[in-house]
Amino acid sequence: MLPTLRRLLSLWREQGRWVALGLVCALAYTTLSLAIPALIQRAIDRAIVPGHSSRLWPYVVAILALSLIRFGVNFTRRSATARIGVHIEARMRELLYDAYLSFPRAFFDRHSTGQVVSRATNDLYPIRYFIGWGMVQGAQSAMMIVGAGIVLTLVNPRLALYTGLSMPLIGLVAWLFAHRVMPISRLVQTRKGDVTEAADEAVVGIEMVQAFGREDDVRERFGDKAGEVRAVVLRQAGIEARHLPGLYFLPGLSIAAVVFFGGRDVIAGQLSIGQFVLFNTILLQLAWPLESLGWITNLAQRALASAGRSFAWIDGVDRLPEPATPQSLAAGPQPIAFQGVHFAYGDEDEVLRGLDLDVRAGEIVAVCGATGSGKTTVLNLLPRFYDPTAGRLLLGGIDARDLPVADLRAAVSVVTQKPVLFSVPLRDNLTIGRPGATWDEVLAASRAAGVDAFVDDLPDGYDTLIGERGVNLSGGQRQRVALARALLREGGVIVMDDPLSAVDTTTERSLLATVRPALAGRTVVIATQRLSTVALADRAVVLRDGRVVESGSPATLIAAGGEFAALFGDETVAA
Amino acid sequence: MRRLPRRRRTGLSRLSIYLRGRWWAVAALVAVATGQAAAQTGGWLLVRAAIDNGIIKNDQHYLAVIVIIYLAVGGAGWVLSGILIRGLAGIGQGIVLGLRRDLFDHLTSLSLRYFSEQRAGWIIARLTSDVDALSDALSQGLPTLAANVVLLPTAVAAVFLVDWRLGLIAFIILPPALVLTRWFQRQSSVAQLEVRNHISAVTAQLAESVSGMAIVQAFGRERAFQAEFGELNIANRSANVRTQTLLSVFFPSIELLGMASTAAVLVLGAHLYSDGSITIGTLITAVYLLQLVFQPLQELSDVYGQMQSAAAAMIKVTSVLDAEPDIGDRPGAPPMPAIDGRLELDGVRFSYGSNEVLHGIDATVTAGGCLALVGQSGGGKSTLAKLIARFYDPSDGAVRVDGADLRDVLLGSYRRQLGVVLQDPFLFSGTIADNIRFARPDASDQQVRETAAAIGVDRVAARLHGGLDHVVREGGAGLSAGERQLISIARALLADPRILILDEATSNIDRPTEVLIERALDRLLHGRTSVIIAHRLATVRRADEILVVERGVVVQRGSERQLLSVDGPFRRLAHDLAGATGAVPSP
Repeated sequence: MLPTLRRLLSLWREQGRWVALGLVCALAYTTLSLAIPALIQRAIDRAIVPGHSSRLWPYVVAILALSLIRFGVNFTRRSATARIGVHIEARMRELLYDAYLSFPRAFFDRHSTGQVVSRATNDLYPIRYFIGWGMVQGAQSAMMIVGAGIVLTLVNPRLALYTGLSMPLIGLVAWLFAHRVMPISRLVQTRKGDVTEAADEAVVGIEMVQAFGREDDVRERFGDKAGEVRAVVLRQAGIEARHLPGLYFLPGLSIAAVVFFGGRDVIAGQLSIGQFVLFNTILLQLAWPLESLGWITNLAQRALASAGRSFAWIDGVDRLPEPATPQSLAAGPQPIAFQGVHFAYGDEDEVLRGLDLDVRAGEIVAVCGATGSGKTTVLNLLPRFYDPTAGRLLLGGIDARDLPVADLRAAVSVVTQKPVLFSVPLRDNLTIGRPGATWDEVLAASRAAGVDAFVDDLPDGYDTLIGERGVNLSGGQRQRVALARALLREGGVIVMDDPLSAVDTTTERSLLATVRPALAGRTVVIATQRLSTVALADRAVVLRDGRVVESGSPATLIAAGGEFAALFGDETVAA
Repeated sequence: MRRLPRRRRTGLSRLSIYLRGRWWAVAALVAVATGQAAAQTGGWLLVRAAIDNGIIKNDQHYLAVIVIIYLAVGGAGWVLSGILIRGLAGIGQGIVLGLRRDLFDHLTSLSLRYFSEQRAGWIIARLTSDVDALSDALSQGLPTLAANVVLLPTAVAAVFLVDWRLGLIAFIILPPALVLTRWFQRQSSVAQLEVRNHISAVTAQLAESVSGMAIVQAFGRERAFQAEFGELNIANRSANVRTQTLLSVFFPSIELLGMASTAAVLVLGAHLYSDGSITIGTLITAVYLLQLVFQPLQELSDVYGQMQSAAAAMIKVTSVLDAEPDIGDRPGAPPMPAIDGRLELDGVRFSYGSNEVLHGIDATVTAGGCLALVGQSGGGKSTLAKLIARFYDPSDGAVRVDGADLRDVLLGSYRRQLGVVLQDPFLFSGTIADNIRFARPDASDQQVRETAAAIGVDRVAARLHGGLDHVVREGGAGLSAGERQLISIARALLADPRILILDEATSNIDRPTEVLIERALDRLLHGRTSVIIAHRLATVRRADEILVVERGVVVQRGSERQLLSVDGPFRRLAHDLAGATGAVPSP
């Protein structure tokens, strides 16, 4: 709690000038807001009640002048504090984003994209409102309460005590409300999420639903979820109904006290009519500061919790360690060696159990195995998405952990099975790994990977915007772009995870002929379940139980009739 | 199913159909809102009475009575206000639930054509964020709207009641206040839209970087992404600062106008008081009542934006509600009797819009026979299969089962005898067992286990935590395409359909799974009429007849042996089909 507060305050101090401006305005606003009712009181007592209409004008002019100044002060305070909040929100978001960029893969396995995104968006709003609006408004509310207390006590201490007695209840009701409604409104969000999930499933799976005539089932399921939303929203409304009216009608208790006790004092000649009005006006003016303290207290709790979670990520997540004495990697294709490598994701069972594999510089090796045998894991170790839990991985004879991460990743290009493309033009997607590539080089890579075969069908050719707002490429097209992107890079090593799995077989055939020469002069590791893709490789290895159990050229392995032959079946001989 | 009346109303007024039978509740709440506003303004009239008749006339007893009445009125207002909030939420949520159900029911009755024309995300947003916007407006906005719409005229009326000349002040100050409010609403809704656009750009970039982090890091693009994000973040910050500055003008302005009205009451009231035409109580009360006129303006401007986005959401929701289902039951259509299994395609043509994709397909499958469709993707195989499932109706020609045109029987009665296995089957959230039971929710655990064992799903399940009770994640992540297809074959077997449509999986099937799938198909196809979109030679061999479909016409037909014996499109395809399963390529 305290360290979080300290870090938040240091962000607050970055906005020092605006904070100071806000506080000065808050003080000025409080002073003016107490001065104006005092002027009205004098106008009533000295001009109106005695019937001296001519004496009224100076008061009216003064009231209007002070109101005008208060308008300026209030505007300045509001915009200054809002600015502080907005700036701190942006700053927190920047800190989080920078942290995300340096987080290891394991972090993103543990946290869903939605969670990571909302930590840097929705979760920041309580911080923004608390730091921006809350702290200065809180100060202003405190000043107003103290100031009003002083003014009223100076006028009539006994009446001030009677009438002020019920006012703190307003703050209490506001705080209680916020405290009670918060869990329910979180529940509302969860229930709405359930509805989204039910809708999502039915819409995406509509073909199945209609094919089996199960419309009534999904309607009932959706109707239930929608009914649950209604139930929690109504619970929330119930809490609102019990608390919010109090905020409107509680000040009435104080007004009643002024009318009764103040009225008796007026009758007894101890209070003027103007002072009677002053009491009413200032008490009404106190309602909002008290209410706001209730809100701010609750907001502070949420903001601190939210900031605590953010700082826990920013400060607490381990980055990939950089070597103490970095080695340097020679250019060109490098040999790769896995030596007794063990690996497990988190606390799950080991996926790799003492893997030994040597790949010569410039060799193309296909890694085969059944689903879940660890093919993808082998590839993930090369760019250090993960580090082995035991054993070591050598690149060019150097332990991968002794190379600067940036150098290692510059040397190893990656083609994932479900390719990630970004919402930028196709051209920029291709050059993302090598922004300085010449146009001829881009074209050559596009030809080799078969991107040129469909680029003419795109509305703007290589300038076509990819993604949600642009063109959605098919799975096979995306894979070809990802392949071209990797071919275009300069590194000496490429790892590919079933790079052509979504490409239809006819296209795959023609691609293999162009990809093979483009891979020349690099060390390549391909994981695949397609025999046709294995054809790219000089050598195939078979993984089982986290170890290499077979190794050799595809033809020899088929002939041997072992694991490899079992994987790809007897049909290999048929055609 | 319940159908909405086809009234072409697109605005919020369309929601009034959900109030049917609840008008008495609406009327009661209008009365409650009026009572609550009367309590708020009436309190000040009591204060006037206390000043003029109690304080000025030195009547303490009268003062005490008035204060007690004042407290009672305040208490009544408190209770009424609570009833209003709860009551309006009840009505609002009733509307939301009705709308959400109708919208969903209507969606599920629309044909696949609709779902292929609209992106899934777009449709889901109608059911969720749009209905949520309406829900927020109805449950949070409506009480504020109702209370203040009643309070504003009540407060004005009360000022007139105490003195009509002071009441005129309200009429002088109110027009500029209304103009200001209107201006502010316009400006702020533009500004809020800008802020929303900026924050969604930030969120989109953030989501893209997070989901593509592996590539960002592997390609060393951290700096570039940081810079891009920085720009969006700063742009969002500036938009927010602009909007907040604008918002900072409004409330101080209303406060200023309130003070102007107070000053006006003091000046005019002093004059009238010295004439003796008003009492001091009237003067004081008028000051407070005028403040009550301004309070609704602030609150109404808060609600305005909410109402606007609700109206915008309703227009989009309406566009879905008004989409006509193009596949439906002919009036008086009889149910499909138990299917024997003879399937005929008679000169079937089909167009997407003006683009004809099937140009007259003829075929006959005997009961229990197997028809294979082969050909390059985009040739029309899937469309043909969808016509047989009656996801679409042919634009010309007919699809007949046991001699009955599919358009002449009840859709549901036909589909319940149909089984479909898709290429990349969608799995629903729940366990593997739930997914197998999907088409027959009443099947016993024993039946599910037997089916799973017959198909070999039990062997897939053995690899997973929990076996058949393994909970499938979103859409079947964590399972391979082959494994998902096995589960979907088990689902079809348990449904025990008379006609089966199957689109074979192409990619990423390891050999052991493939062997399982082949055995499963033997079991599933036995004794049923089947139509298979085939990607493997092994499957084609099962077929009694093969249609080679290219560019919407049948270019070749016959048994595998007949087709292989002539030099034609099938031979060329056969070579590729073999490749799909992994023949050793000739070097």
